[in-house]
Amino acid sequence: MSELWTSPYFGIALSILAFWTGEKLQKKLKSPLCNPLLFAILVIVVILLVFRIPYDSYNEGGAVINMFLAPATACLAVSIYTKIQILKENALPIVVGCTVGSLTSMGSVYLLCKLFGLDGAMTASLLPKSITTPIAVEVCQTHGGIVPVTVIAVIFTGILGSILAPFLLRLFRVKNPITAGLAIGACSHAVGTSKALELGETEGAMSGLAIGVCGIITVIVSMLM
Amino acid sequence: MKIIKQVGIIFSICCISVLIEQYLPFAFPASVIGMILLFLLLLTGLLKIDHIREKSDFLLANMAFFFIPAGVNVINYLDILKVNWLPLLLICVFTTVITFAATAYSVRFTMYLLSRGKGGHHE
Repeated sequence: MSELWTSPYFGIALSILAFWTGEKLQKKLKSPLCNPLLFAILVIVVILLVFRIPYDSYNEGGAVINMFLAPATACLAVSIYTKIQILKENALPIVVGCTVGSLTSMGSVYLLCKLFGLDGAMTASLLPKSITTPIAVEVCQTHGGIVPVTVIAVIFTGILGSILAPFLLRLFRVKNPITAGLAIGACSHAVGTSKALELGETEGAMSGLAIGVCGIITVIVSMLM
Repeated sequence: MKIIKQVGIIFSICCISVLIEQYLPFAFPASVIGMILLFLLLLTGLLKIDHIREKSDFLLANMAFFFIPAGVNVINYLDILKVNWLPLLLICVFTTVITFAATAYSVRFTMYLLSRGKGGHHE
């Protein structure tokens, strides 16, 4: 039986199957709570635990998938480039908003970690939680954090952002689509951006832009820490 | 061959980014260097979006999928989560709301200052 999971195909096939099921489920239930990524991670973890499949066997294929993260991040440049006109026209509000947002996120995480008495590794894992996963993982690693904790926190934050977005827009009386998009992107990166796209084209574009700008600002700030 | 070429371009950029990361005097993520590099190539016109469109659409559209293995790695850290799940939950909820508010208010305030500078003709 163990021959089944000794090749890299196992991890890849299992990941695709789990993600695909998650997407189908999301389409059917139309609930932001049912996030395909979260679903796939949970299903795979349960399968590995129940069938006593070693993590390293899964990761033979997992490593192959993981390799695509860096090229995918680089390609965020393409989505930013296509929105260069909005970027030029609103450069100052974008930079100010993303800087304040990133600093608020890191500052509030830091203070709360101290308040709850979490150790340095946990704090380093949570600091980049509002930015996109590939950049968050790098920030976490350079500061001695625990990568999976970062990934879980980032994904959870993204899902929270996409659930809370309509409610937060009303609560803080945000009507301008540029403001709305930036706020959603700054607090909940790509998962939030998928929600912003549903609200409108400008919201989506600004949210996508905030992913890149906040990512870079967070990297720079964390380097100075 | 078209797709292979596009993969070649993007992977070459990533390869160069890793090299740059090694030689930088400070820690800066290679993936972000790749993003900046690609942005500069597009900005200077050395590379056209058409040169990488299909591959980049593929990578961006499937972004979430590529995060699965990183997330599954949590299986090795279940004991940490078991101890800390409540503070983690509270931190995530609170900081997401406060980050949203801080970003929205600072964008709004900057736009307000800019419009006053222009004589208040715009929003």
